[in-house]
Amino acid sequence: MKMKKVVSSLLVLAMSVSLLAGCGTKESEESAKTEEKETVVVALWGNQMLEGYTQYLCEKFPDVDFKFELVTNSTDYYRFRQDHDDMPDILTVRRFSLKDAVVLKDYLYDLGDTELAATYYGTYLDNYTYDDGTVNWLPACAEVDSIIINETLFEEYQVPIPTDYDSFIAACESFEEVGIKGFVSDFASDFTCMEVLQGMSTSQLLTMEGREWRQQYEGGSTNQLSEEVWMPVFEKFYDMRDRAGLAEEVDWVNRTPKDMFIEGKAAMYRGTGADIITFPGRGDDKVSLLPYFGDNESENWYLTYPAFQVAASNNGMDDPEREQLILDIMTAMLNQEGQEKISYGKNMIPYNRNVTLELLPELKNLEPYIDENKMYIRLASNDMFRISQSVVQQILKGELETPRDAFDAFNLELESGDSENEIAAHLDTFYSNEFTDEHGNQAASAICNTMREETGVDVLFGQSCYIASDIYEGDYTEKDLEYLVDNDGGWPVRTDLTGEQLYQLVEETLALKSNRGGVCNDSTMYVSSGFEMDITRTEDGYTLNKLTQDGKDLDRTATYSVIIFSDRDWYIPVVQEAVRFEVMPIDTVPRATELIKQRLVEEKGQLAEPTDYIAIK
Amino acid sequence: MNNHKKRKKMLSKYWIPLLSAFAMVVCLLVGVLYIRSFMVQQTMKERTSQLEEMIEQIRVNLEYGLEIHWNLLEGIETSVEGKHYSDTQQLTEEIVRLENTFQLESFGCRIMMIESTGTAYLSDGSDGIWDDMNYLSDGSDRKTFVSETSNLGGTFLAFAQKLNTPITIGTDNVNFTHIILLKDIKEVKKYYTANFYGGHAATYIIKPNGTLAYYDSEEEDVLNVRNIFKALEEAEYVRGRSFDIVKDQLDKEGIAAADIRINQTEYFYSLTNLKDYDMTLMLLIPAEYVAVSTVDMMGATLRVMIIVTFILVAVLVLAMLSFLNAQRSNQLVKIEQKNNLELTRLREAAEDALHVAEVANKSKSVFLSNMSHDIRTPMNAVIGFATLGLSNIEDKEKVKDYFTKILSSGNHLLSLINEILDMSRIESGKVSLQETEANLSDMLHEIKTIIGGQIHEKQLELRMDLVHVTDEDVYCDKTRLNQVLLNLLSNAIKFTMPGGTISVHITQIKNLSAEKGVYEIRVKDTGIGMSKEFVERIFEPFERERSSTVSRIQGTGLGMSITKNIVDMMGGTIEVQTEVGKGTEFILCLELRLQPKQKEMMALGDNMHEEEGQAASDHEGKEAFQGRHILLVEDNELNREIAQEILCSYGFRIDVAENGAEAVERIASSTPGDYDLVLMDIQMPVMDGYEATRHIRVLDNPELAAIPIIAMTANAFDEDRRAAKECGMDGFISKPIDIDLLGTVLLSRRVSLCHNSLNDTLGGTGQTV
Repeated sequence: MKMKKVVSSLLVLAMSVSLLAGCGTKESEESAKTEEKETVVVALWGNQMLEGYTQYLCEKFPDVDFKFELVTNSTDYYRFRQDHDDMPDILTVRRFSLKDAVVLKDYLYDLGDTELAATYYGTYLDNYTYDDGTVNWLPACAEVDSIIINETLFEEYQVPIPTDYDSFIAACESFEEVGIKGFVSDFASDFTCMEVLQGMSTSQLLTMEGREWRQQYEGGSTNQLSEEVWMPVFEKFYDMRDRAGLAEEVDWVNRTPKDMFIEGKAAMYRGTGADIITFPGRGDDKVSLLPYFGDNESENWYLTYPAFQVAASNNGMDDPEREQLILDIMTAMLNQEGQEKISYGKNMIPYNRNVTLELLPELKNLEPYIDENKMYIRLASNDMFRISQSVVQQILKGELETPRDAFDAFNLELESGDSENEIAAHLDTFYSNEFTDEHGNQAASAICNTMREETGVDVLFGQSCYIASDIYEGDYTEKDLEYLVDNDGGWPVRTDLTGEQLYQLVEETLALKSNRGGVCNDSTMYVSSGFEMDITRTEDGYTLNKLTQDGKDLDRTATYSVIIFSDRDWYIPVVQEAVRFEVMPIDTVPRATELIKQRLVEEKGQLAEPTDYIAIK
Repeated sequence: MNNHKKRKKMLSKYWIPLLSAFAMVVCLLVGVLYIRSFMVQQTMKERTSQLEEMIEQIRVNLEYGLEIHWNLLEGIETSVEGKHYSDTQQLTEEIVRLENTFQLESFGCRIMMIESTGTAYLSDGSDGIWDDMNYLSDGSDRKTFVSETSNLGGTFLAFAQKLNTPITIGTDNVNFTHIILLKDIKEVKKYYTANFYGGHAATYIIKPNGTLAYYDSEEEDVLNVRNIFKALEEAEYVRGRSFDIVKDQLDKEGIAAADIRINQTEYFYSLTNLKDYDMTLMLLIPAEYVAVSTVDMMGATLRVMIIVTFILVAVLVLAMLSFLNAQRSNQLVKIEQKNNLELTRLREAAEDALHVAEVANKSKSVFLSNMSHDIRTPMNAVIGFATLGLSNIEDKEKVKDYFTKILSSGNHLLSLINEILDMSRIESGKVSLQETEANLSDMLHEIKTIIGGQIHEKQLELRMDLVHVTDEDVYCDKTRLNQVLLNLLSNAIKFTMPGGTISVHITQIKNLSAEKGVYEIRVKDTGIGMSKEFVERIFEPFERERSSTVSRIQGTGLGMSITKNIVDMMGGTIEVQTEVGKGTEFILCLELRLQPKQKEMMALGDNMHEEEGQAASDHEGKEAFQGRHILLVEDNELNREIAQEILCSYGFRIDVAENGAEAVERIASSTPGDYDLVLMDIQMPVMDGYEATRHIRVLDNPELAAIPIIAMTANAFDEDRRAAKECGMDGFISKPIDIDLLGTVLLSRRVSLCHNSLNDTLGGTGQTV
């Protein structure tokens, strides 16, 4: 009996040891696996990529530790990164012209002979090919940008749906008579100014003269607008301003026209295929996307541009395994599945042979235009964005009285170029943008703390990926300073919250899935300024344990003045509804770039010290 | 050292021809390599040149073919330029008409009209905005490019002509700015398809930016890239060129070619610019198909050259081998000559040896002949006189005379046998010198006593003296020195006629030290002398000079040889000075150890007494032995009888034993004093003399055991004497018994026949017995 007992004890011991050993092995394997993860930095041109695209990549490549950065939507931004030898592994940009991108050519990987490039239609690929055959950038599917109309409203007021420019103006005038804005657009943004300016004169810009001028301009052989081509463009815009009543829209930001459209206060607005889905009018209204109108129907064109362009840095591409990984990720970004993640996959036109995207019923109008290839690709150089905004706003404000004035002003600005090259500030301290469990994202913390101090609020809650890069020690121009926090979607929104609401805000934020303010990994985690967060990683994300202030539990009953720094249009409404709070008008708080410049340029100060704002495990 | 020199000499002998041959081989190989390299380069040039010519031809053909299309397009342009059409329908009808008029179908072409904003019109109507409007946006009037237009589907070569006066349509006067002649690229193939490479040539039409516009080959595209120029830039160039060089040449000359390696296969490519058409044409052909006949011819030439070179090398090697062989033969001849010389020398040596052997053999034959003669002669005398004695037994005087002559002949025989044995022993190294104290003066005196009779008998004069001898007492083997001197004197006596003079002079030349002196002994006669020829061989055994004068002189022919050997053993020298008819002088030179002076004096005194005592003993004679009782142990009856007779004649009483065992028994059974002496033969049946002596010496009765025993044997050598001494014998006499000598010995034991004294006395005189 004794012997049996000894044997069974030994067996139990052996099993226990083996089980423990097994557990230990599994843990160590997982630990090793984490350690073995390849880090890939993906720069995101806009925050809509946070909505589902980043999650898609994370799921697609579980062995990759992605670091997502929400960068300035400009090829020049990458020049700034390259100047600091800090180029992301994968670059995306929506605002693109080969002319602007050429400065990056030596630092980017040539995709010309990759299988990925081979999936593109030759005509499109040619547009991305340099004189020596190099192809650095490849486009994702085409975004369509034209005029969204509320057909229901047209029916209600028996206004004929326009088919050309004159009928468009007539419609505007008809709606004007009934107190409805015929056509609205956000002219506060540079891209909207540029797109409306070009869109309304597409047929003019696509004349033989227009094409030849564009080729000369993009080829760098001219830096002036052609009078023959562009004077009619300005004349038309002036005409539209006057006849469609656009003057008051100069200060409207992006959301305002959309809100008017949703409310039935506007019959038409400049929008994209994606906007049809997100801003579909008054509930059951029938909306559709019409082209920019020419003088006759045959001169109508849709304006289009790639949703974004993708490129890869040369860094690390001499390692075949790394090279293959990066190409695999880019392929996943641009294949059928990847493109379906962009703007819901239903309002886009692919450039690849092997991708088919479904068009929404609202976009049915597009089909004949697609067949006839009447898709105008915007002229999207940095200068065009910048100067179009400047000139259009001056036109709307009446500062440029005639088309000639506008034409000359445009050319003048083209000639003077971008003069923001003077040193505006010097940063004494380097802060890393790398997220660590011990200190979080120190660069983001420094920016958020500075914004909180500059605004004087009690606390700030902002998404770290809006601070795209390291804070480099050294001299900065104003443009460089903007690059630290400048992006399309990041807006500081001012509100007041109780401690309890702050808890809820953080909890709701961490729980968000498929939202532009969602957190998909450490690189998109939020930063807290004025309080600390205790967070735990879970299998499907993160959960909040507690909030503290200076180490003490946050007072849930106290009220705090708060700035939320994240997506304004897609994130704020969601958390607003969940937590039940009001936000102050958008112009209550300057944008992040202004706050930073205020601190560093105007006040000649330095960024606030980062804090250990997060405890994560 | 010699080997090293020889090797050096050999090397220097072969060095120049070997180096020359090696240099020639190296030159040949270098030459072959150079020619091969040259031919490879030439082949490369030829292939490149051929390719360039080929692509130039293609370019000319293609440009000619394309020019035709421009001509067509000009014709079309002329037909429609500036025209106005009421609507697009009319325009499309015009397009149909033009295509038919210019029979464009046969050219594989279609017409496309481009409206200002890019809308394309074909014979079947509008086809939307043309994909390739960008090509028309650079302001060129004419342009040719490859179009993969989606409007038509397929690949076309587009000839675009900008209209100086646009076509207008409708009331709005919509402008049509370009006429495009689209030619199916497959129809263009016939201008460039390189069937001459067996269908292995791939054709690439390349855009200005280096990217592929069109690929044409039945085979898979080995480059399989979009950017052709980049691929060529990154390719592995086989012969040191690079794409930069090729591109530079292309830009300057419009044509360039090179060879590259793709996936381990060598390819040639050639490029030509179609400047008027804004594109580049490239041919890519596997190297194995390029200038095959040239390569084959070059290869064949190279192979022939290599074969010829191998033959030359082989001839050179053979020549070298022949040379080496000749050198080797020469060497062998020299070695053979040397060997022959050696053989001759050996042969001569062998002949000499043979001669010597023959001479020796002859000497031996002569010796044997002499011996035969010399032995037979006295034996004849013995037997003859014995026979005569028996016949005349009654005539006492005659018998006495006969016995005297028998005795003389017997003595001669004995001396002859003794010398032969002595010589034999000396030559076999069995003789060793035994130095004892000696007095030179005494020795001369003794010798004079020995030979005195003969001198007197031959009426010769003998002179003996010591000259400047300060040290007469020396150590030497007196017996052997006596033997030498007696031999020399014996010869002198023999060969000196009566009335002649013989002299012996001893001179002490010098002292080497206080203990050693150098003595010269000259033995001179006035005899017949010797010939020079004989003098050269005088010391060789068995040599005797034969002449009518001396032939009657008896001799063994060994005396001088024995003499020379003994002198050599003593470390001395012996020389001969002689002249035929005048005489001979032998000169001995010996180094002798000197005796201390006092001892010498004492010894001299002792000797003198002894001499006196010896002389007195002689006088006492036979009476001294009267009644003495001897046990004679002898197995041979004749010898026993002789010994009995002799001993009895001296007054001894004789008992006889026939072997050792009997002798032992008799002694053992005797009482002390019964026997005074035992004369013991050595070689006997039952028990030999040594064994018997040992038995006697261990008898219980010490007096019986100590009885004097004297060996009496025919074994007369030194080792026999040593053996006798070792087994306990007291003296040694050899057979046949010398009556006088035996008497002397017995007399010396007369007073006290004790063991020790007898041993000493007999040991000192044994040699003379």
